[in-house]
Amino acid sequence: MLLVFGLGFRLDTPWQGVAWVFMLAGALSAGAGLGLLVRRTTGGDAFVQSEGGG
Amino acid sequence: VAPACRPGTAVLAAVVVAIASLLAVRGVARVPPAAEPAQPGAPLIGPRIRAWFRELLAPIEDHLLRWGVEPDAVTYAQLVVSIFAGMSFWNGWMFLAGWLTILAGTLDVLDGGVARRRGVATARGALVDSLVDRYAEFATFLGLGAFFRADWVLLPVDVACFSSLMVSYTRARAESLGVALGLGQVQRPERYLILGTGAWLSDLVSHLACPVLGRPTHAVLAGAVTLLAVLSTATALQRARGAARGLGGHPAP
Repeated sequence: MLLVFGLGFRLDTPWQGVAWVFMLAGALSAGAGLGLLVRRTTGGDAFVQSEGGG
Repeated sequence: VAPACRPGTAVLAAVVVAIASLLAVRGVARVPPAAEPAQPGAPLIGPRIRAWFRELLAPIEDHLLRWGVEPDAVTYAQLVVSIFAGMSFWNGWMFLAGWLTILAGTLDVLDGGVARRRGVATARGALVDSLVDRYAEFATFLGLGAFFRADWVLLPVDVACFSSLMVSYTRARAESLGVALGLGQVQRPERYLILGTGAWLSDLVSHLACPVLGRPTHAVLAGAVTLLAVLSTATALQRARGAARGLGGHPAP
């Protein structure tokens, strides 16, 4: 969402400084999230929890 | 002055949204399909997508519960986000407005979930939630109407706004007369999704097409609003018919 809002600020508004801050924070968060997702994918429970609740 | 033409950023935004969409489709595919076929008049967003979305929000709900956040606070946050969405529409910031609309819809789902899991789902909370939902929807439509004030799209915006309120009012009035109404193809989540997706997609198309067209276009949003007006009107009428059928010859209370 941070990345998306950053892109939105960049596309729509004159607040380009705010846009870059959001985009940087969003890119870092998205990178970390995708990294975690790749690791969880190998465990077979990415996004949807297993029946055991894991 | 807002930047008028940013095709490069739009391409980047399209890639980000495409990756998120692929992950979403992958998540939905892992949810087992519903055992029973959809009933006529069932919401357009089916049980499989709803189950996936609830699963996706579960960690956020966990955090809100751990931090002791009141469901009312989430409800009021939804109102604030909707006002920001309305302001963004008013300014013509369609990409932001679209995602803020979807965020408001997400908060609308979260407040009920938090209330149920905290065991504080009360009649007062339900009343506040319903009232805030109406104001939140109106704030969004007000901004949209202000943006399209000199355009034919103002008519479908007005129809969509009125019909959205009628969808909720018909159910509330029918339930006060003792008829439970669950049916309705375009309920609040569907409205948030159609309007939100229509808005951000419209802005992307506008920025991608501006080197060719030489001017911004909001054709996709106009189409989404028109679709919303038609579907909301049909849902309101569908509910009115269902309520009338359910009441039959019951005497007035």
